[in-house]
Amino acid sequence: MNSRRDFLKTTTLAGGGLVLGLNFLQSCVSEVVSMPAHVIPLVGLQNGFEAEGAFPITDFLQIRPDGSVFLSLTKYEMGQGVSTGLTSILAEELEADWEKINVRYIKSSVSKSDATGGSTSTLQHWDLLRKAGAYAKQLLIEAAAREWSVFKDECYAEKNYVYQHGSDVRLEYGQLAGKVVVPVNYRELFETVPLKYRSKFKLIGRSLKSKIVPDIVVGRHPYAIDLRLPDMKYAAVLRCPVFKGRLLSFDASEALKISGVEKVVKIDGVTLDPVSHIRDGVAVIANSTWAAFQGKLAVRAEWDLGDNAKVEHEEFVADCLQRLDSDEGREILRIGRKVKESEMDEVISYTYEFPYQHHACMEPLNATSHFKGESCEMWVGTQSADKIAANIEKHLGIRKENIKINCYPSGGGFGLRYSSEYALESMLVSKAAGGDLVKMCYSREDDIKFDYLNPFELNRHTMGIQNGKAVSWDFKNVMANWGGNLGWMYYNIPNRSATQVTVDGFTHVGAWRSVMANAEGFSTECFIDEVAHKLNRDPLEFRLSLLPRGNMVDFNHSYQCNINRLRGALELVARKAKWGKQMPERHGQGVAVYPYMHGNGYGAVVAEVSAVNNEIKVNKITASIDCGLVINPDQVRQQMEGGIIWALSAILYGGTEYVNGVVQRSNFHDNPVLRINEIPEIDVHVCENDESQPWGVGEIGGPPCYAAVCNAIFAATGRRIRKLPISKTLSANI
Amino acid sequence: MSQPDASILKEKILNMATIRLLVNGTSYEKEMDPGIPLLWALRDILGLTGTKFGCGIAQCGACTVLIEGKAVRSCSITSESATGKDIQTIEGVEATPYRSLQQAWIEEQVPQCGYCQSGQIMNAIGLLKSNPQPTDEEILSAMAGNICRCGTYPRILKAIKSILDNPSKSNNI
Repeated sequence: MNSRRDFLKTTTLAGGGLVLGLNFLQSCVSEVVSMPAHVIPLVGLQNGFEAEGAFPITDFLQIRPDGSVFLSLTKYEMGQGVSTGLTSILAEELEADWEKINVRYIKSSVSKSDATGGSTSTLQHWDLLRKAGAYAKQLLIEAAAREWSVFKDECYAEKNYVYQHGSDVRLEYGQLAGKVVVPVNYRELFETVPLKYRSKFKLIGRSLKSKIVPDIVVGRHPYAIDLRLPDMKYAAVLRCPVFKGRLLSFDASEALKISGVEKVVKIDGVTLDPVSHIRDGVAVIANSTWAAFQGKLAVRAEWDLGDNAKVEHEEFVADCLQRLDSDEGREILRIGRKVKESEMDEVISYTYEFPYQHHACMEPLNATSHFKGESCEMWVGTQSADKIAANIEKHLGIRKENIKINCYPSGGGFGLRYSSEYALESMLVSKAAGGDLVKMCYSREDDIKFDYLNPFELNRHTMGIQNGKAVSWDFKNVMANWGGNLGWMYYNIPNRSATQVTVDGFTHVGAWRSVMANAEGFSTECFIDEVAHKLNRDPLEFRLSLLPRGNMVDFNHSYQCNINRLRGALELVARKAKWGKQMPERHGQGVAVYPYMHGNGYGAVVAEVSAVNNEIKVNKITASIDCGLVINPDQVRQQMEGGIIWALSAILYGGTEYVNGVVQRSNFHDNPVLRINEIPEIDVHVCENDESQPWGVGEIGGPPCYAAVCNAIFAATGRRIRKLPISKTLSANI
Repeated sequence: MSQPDASILKEKILNMATIRLLVNGTSYEKEMDPGIPLLWALRDILGLTGTKFGCGIAQCGACTVLIEGKAVRSCSITSESATGKDIQTIEGVEATPYRSLQQAWIEEQVPQCGYCQSGQIMNAIGLLKSNPQPTDEEILSAMAGNICRCGTYPRILKAIKSILDNPSKSNNI
């Protein structure tokens, strides 16, 4: 959580104007830093890093003399929409003119609350941003009251102006900003500032247009990969093909013959923790990305590939299965008691496999670093600068206050940029190159082969039946190199347990949009469907019968699972998709629902699938989401569309292959993802609800999608899918 | 093989030439390796970074530009082969009637992370130049070479169609 200590700072801009600093990002640097003038052409940009009178992150909100309002983003933009959603929350309470709102990207951040993931940005900063907006509005009103020598109660604010009640007299925020006086009791004022009633919202709840799209469509939205600095070199790294292998020797003579190649240097790998490791490698420093890529291809290296080269996938899966059968495991959840098999008339048990998955963000991993011995600077698209700084401090011995990280919006994050390894790697390259300022860019092949993959999971669900009713539900999960099991077991079966086992896989793993909810949503919702069919119950009706209204279920998580909201999403999607409607032969509907507890959001999907002429086709996806109070309905729909298409790619084409520890996929020809001519019709519905705050959105759409599609395939063909991707499961004869 | 720390003497094959690139109506003359893909000449040499690197093998479309009005993957042609030809990149679109397509992208709120969208827009312009009234099928087929990981496809289709459905907008093109 944010520390509220020393969270407020108000200063006046050199050129006039108000700067409201929310110094909740506790350990921020506070000196004025200026970017080199020609980093990225900023002329004509709607948003940017800074303008005249540049200030670092602690200057959270600026109102400039022309009335324009600049909000520094407190979370990282990677396409999920925080620059619009978070901004609109602040603008609402500030009574700002939406047209005058601009976004400032986090310039230099070493903080305690920046990590962006788990669909938590909006819910974490909702309260803070409202108070910030309301507090700034109060200060502006007080400034106007002083100007007019009236009581502040006689004034009100609307659309960037302060007015006097019953009069046409008004002052624009830009005129007032320089006249703000910060009261001595500002902290108390901040904490107790009155907030608007929901019924008075003018911006929240509207489909306001994105603040970043105007920059994107002209090609000027700033990504780290576009960075250009004076004296900047370009680097590409030849990495050990196997995780944790070692470099024995290399020969750079051919690489150095390539025009543009300047240096070839050795990178010593670093182990960060048991699951993440920067590989040994050879970095080629050149005068363009292209020359660096060419140089990398010309480097000859000898490796000691190590133990991970001996991992064979079939053996690995067999080992995972054995562990599922064994008694080992850590209990994550226990509700009720352990039921003896003798008490059951029937036991239904199935095992589901969710593979390793690639991210393939459109912007390949990259970072620009400048190692200066006692200090360093970096330019990077990230989901967590804190992790980068912590790793630089730990492994390069540079004190945190001497680390400057310039954070850019990302061309896709999806959990990949939650890992900090690529960023630290670029600093190692700069160091190895003798302190050159170096932009290190992954080729697409690097980005796929050295991806921090979604961990492989085997899930086994077992249900005990007594007199036609489910009495026990046990879930066991074996997962590669990742310690978490969600154990989100929301169906109201009296006795429930979740157990987890971590095994060593062949490679590096990382967060992947919706994280474990993908595998566990897939397995849980396929399984409940199988049980419904075994018991001759309608899949929707069976689910609803196990979701009693009013239930709140505790999974030992920050939030309790709200069954009313889960049920609401399921009922809405069933109604909108016309669940149970007549389908043509070889066509089927499938349903699934899943909570996403990290963000306390709930999603449900009905898929319509056909299996005609040996081709499985997803024709339509109807989806629903309960994300609490809705900030921006259109952005919620965008995120649901994106999450669904993300999941469909994984259902159809996901997974990976490795031989002797080496990932075999390399680019979009052999790591296919959904293309525009493959998408189904997608129809998204947002649940009405009376939640008093917003909840998570970005990772709600995917998890229910897997099972809905697989259950629809069953309805169309009679074939159960217990392993993804379906391209590997279904033969031509379906 | 030599040891990693051995100092390595450079023995460079110099392969440079003056290449003239005509981009968005501006002529640039720069020394470069004539074999450098147009993508990297645009980005690293001319500083026109609106054109994006996605895959390097003409599989994703992020680097799409127009050459003589046709959509081309700039990662897969050399700058030498583009010499003297009319190259149009995302940076130049605002100055053309196709700005209405950029406006449609805003209206339909197409982009999420935005990284692939320069290529999507350039590819859509290429389509409309060769086929001003494409059917849905033709749009899907023409746009199938452009990957988006955020899943903005439904909105890309809508944005292109909105231009076709609106005579005042399409007449401007």
